Amino acid sequence: MITKTEIEKMNFRNVWVIAEVEGGIVQPVTFELLGSARELADKRGSEVWAILLGYKIQDIQLFAYGADVCVVIDDHRLTHFIDELEAKILSRLIEKYLPEIILCGATSRGRALIPRVAVATYCGLTADCTQLDIDPNNGDLLQTRPAFGGNILATIRSSNHRPQIASVRPRVMKIPQPNNDRDGIIIFESILPSDELNSKKVVDVYHDAQSAINLADAEIIIAGGRGTHGKAGFELLRQLAQKVGGAVGASRAAVDSGWIPYTHQVGQTGQTVQTKIYIACGISGQIQHLVGMQSCDLIIAIDKNPDTPMMQMADIAIVGDMFEILPELINEINLR
Amino acid sequence: MHDPRDHIVNKIYHVEVLPPKQDSTKLLIDLDLFKEKYLRVLNSGYCVCITDNAMGIMAFQGHEIIEEMSLYVHPNQVMIHLNTFHTKADLDNILESCKNLKIESLLVITGDGSDRLPKLQPADIGESDVESVTSVELLRYIRRSYPNTFVLGVAFNPYEPPEHEFAKMKRKIAAGASFIITQPIIERNAQVDQLINEYPTIPVTVEAWMSKKLSLLSDAIGYEIPADTEYDPIETLKMLHEVYPQCGVYLSLVGFKTQYDLIKDVWK
Amino acid sequence: MKIVVCIKQVPASNDAKIDPETKRIIRDAVKSILNPFDNYALEEGVGLREKFGGEVIALTMGPPAAEAVIKEAIALGVDSGILLSDRAFGGSDTWATSYALAKAIEKIGNVDLVICGKQAIDGDTAQVGPGIAAHLNWQQATYLMEIKRKDEKVILAKRLHESGYDICEMTLPAVVTVVKGINTPRVPTLKGRLTSLNAEIPVWKPSDIDANVDQLGLNGSPTRVVRTDPPAPRLSSTIKIEGSAQHCAKELVRQLRLRSIV
Repeated sequence: MITKTEIEKMNFRNVWVIAEVEGGIVQPVTFELLGSARELADKRGSEVWAILLGYKIQDIQLFAYGADVCVVIDDHRLTHFIDELEAKILSRLIEKYLPEIILCGATSRGRALIPRVAVATYCGLTADCTQLDIDPNNGDLLQTRPAFGGNILATIRSSNHRPQIASVRPRVMKIPQPNNDRDGIIIFESILPSDELNSKKVVDVYHDAQSAINLADAEIIIAGGRGTHGKAGFELLRQLAQKVGGAVGASRAAVDSGWIPYTHQVGQTGQTVQTKIYIACGISGQIQHLVGMQSCDLIIAIDKNPDTPMMQMADIAIVGDMFEILPELINEINLR
Repeated sequence: MHDPRDHIVNKIYHVEVLPPKQDSTKLLIDLDLFKEKYLRVLNSGYCVCITDNAMGIMAFQGHEIIEEMSLYVHPNQVMIHLNTFHTKADLDNILESCKNLKIESLLVITGDGSDRLPKLQPADIGESDVESVTSVELLRYIRRSYPNTFVLGVAFNPYEPPEHEFAKMKRKIAAGASFIITQPIIERNAQVDQLINEYPTIPVTVEAWMSKKLSLLSDAIGYEIPADTEYDPIETLKMLHEVYPQCGVYLSLVGFKTQYDLIKDVWK
Repeated sequence: MKIVVCIKQVPASNDAKIDPETKRIIRDAVKSILNPFDNYALEEGVGLREKFGGEVIALTMGPPAAEAVIKEAIALGVDSGILLSDRAFGGSDTWATSYALAKAIEKIGNVDLVICGKQAIDGDTAQVGPGIAAHLNWQQATYLMEIKRKDEKVILAKRLHESGYDICEMTLPAVVTVVKGINTPRVPTLKGRLTSLNAEIPVWKPSDIDANVDQLGLNGSPTRVVRTDPPAPRLSSTIKIEGSAQHCAKELVRQLRLRSIV
């Protein structure tokens, strides 16, 4: 296979960030990636390059977030996400500029685009990293990612290939404080006719706020049980979920009462979830339910009864009536 | 159609037999074993009860095994469980097959789901007021679509908060249930007593746990039973007959090798 | 339409063992199942054939025991299946896996559409589908919630993304990945399962698919797992909040802020 010798590897320099541009707007995940890229580049003594592909891109100067160089293609043919076209362009730019590391968001776009680039350039690709480090001597990227539903953290290297490519899970890396004194250079590139061969067409676009929840796993689940008392109670959960961009879950008791569809059921005979936050409202916490959500990072329980299994196992247990506390919580979030 | 009271009057046990699982690596052997148990129950005059993807673990359907293996059916000696985790097409297929096979008893339950099992949607069966199909809606649908074809039963869970469970039972009976089978009980149970009192005209069958491993019951009742708990199934069965002479008995996890012959003389 | 559905056998439970040597999964240690997302891919393939005619072939790579998922696919209605199995394939990362699958698809020949589940639950990478498309240099579309046929050579693919969805017009041959919810996968019938028991599953080796062995298996894989660790354990103590509803809400928000969550 096409491995790189130590001497060849020295030709590859700098950390690239593939910016995510949606409707001309640079998405927040790009700033998260720039923060990580800056740390890696500083350890290695190299530069951060941001690659922006899009149409009518509003702010191409990403220097404040850590970029030294911005490579831009602003073209109407990049209005919609065409995997084949963007992969060809990137592969060509990689051959031209020889980056050592490439970071890309593990979003629906990034996850579709970057494997195509990795295959075309015969590079190692690690999906969905949650932690990145670099060996400052040889530039090896140490890529850590969860596997087996988060039960294992695997650390991955791609020592004999350059560039090294990683997709990074959104909302894990912190957005750096922008430094408006930083400056850099912009390189304009363009689409070549050969880039466009065998590309598909996007014929229609729809916006739907629900999609994000359908697609990725929600980060917050607000779940209700028997103590939710009916459809009206779940309406309250839905309001809070909407406010915080979360999803609504339910115990079997609530589903079996016909208050909410089965697709929301969490537990042994429903879904197993692993969110950052799980808020259990009026769920007593039978073992069948607990096995479905015990791996969530932070478990919050709200119940009038402080002695239920759920209240015992929660990280934060709130003793009280969900019908009084949830509206207050929604208020509190509105104030901020 | 048979009267569900027959099972109590004529001392006919309900004996649960689990159908082969979908992921069986020895399906042909499992099918033969199923057949052997099925025939044994029928030949001893009892009623064989076939579960429907119990605990959400996928298994083959009772009706398709009976069809595939050309097993005979006595109308009041075969009961199949039917839950809400089917597509509408599969549900209709099951009901049509049961009708043709002359299987009359259906135990209609909400059932256990899994990621892999499709869930019946309210719109599929002409319901608009609920978010989720439960045994109540399924009962209504069967009664409406197959009038006078089936004897429909429902489950009663004495381990749920009573207020909730009795409210549900009221709706199940209103939807057309004509017999009730409880979750396993291992002693006299106040909720079961109340059930018998509230529904004196509806035959109630209590479930007897026939495995020595009482801890396996933890999953069904929602709290943990220690693994080393001493338990004598036959003694418990005798006790249940004494305490509930007016009830039928449903036997789950019967050991066919050694236990089956012992139960024959218990109910006299 | 000639359709290939790529499927994978995965460990059923989440406590799979990892080989300390290769840092990859020991597959015999736990029960194996068909990757849950692949059910949607199989249903879509079989559904398209039922509507438009043609042929559906299930393709997998794995140890000999992975034959079980091909049989499951046959029980669900695909016409035939192929297992790629050889020591040379062992230890493949997503690059080498998608290379082997792409070579097999070339070998099958005249394939119009390749369908994959959105990702496998063991690795969760979602990279193999696009990887196959790249190796074949075919068009691709990921996270589809609907596939419609426009004509013999063109499909309309409804693609899900974070802020909504779009419709792509794709020229066949193409590779797509599908999400849960695109259809309701059927459950195998006893008849289907009994049929699959007798099905002969051809096993293909690297030479059968004209693959370059240097690009297969552990040797052909650009990435190496160098370490595996358990995740940080959770704290066991519970913080209790009591008092007026307003106090509870304020205190919860404060607690979340302490953890820099809000």
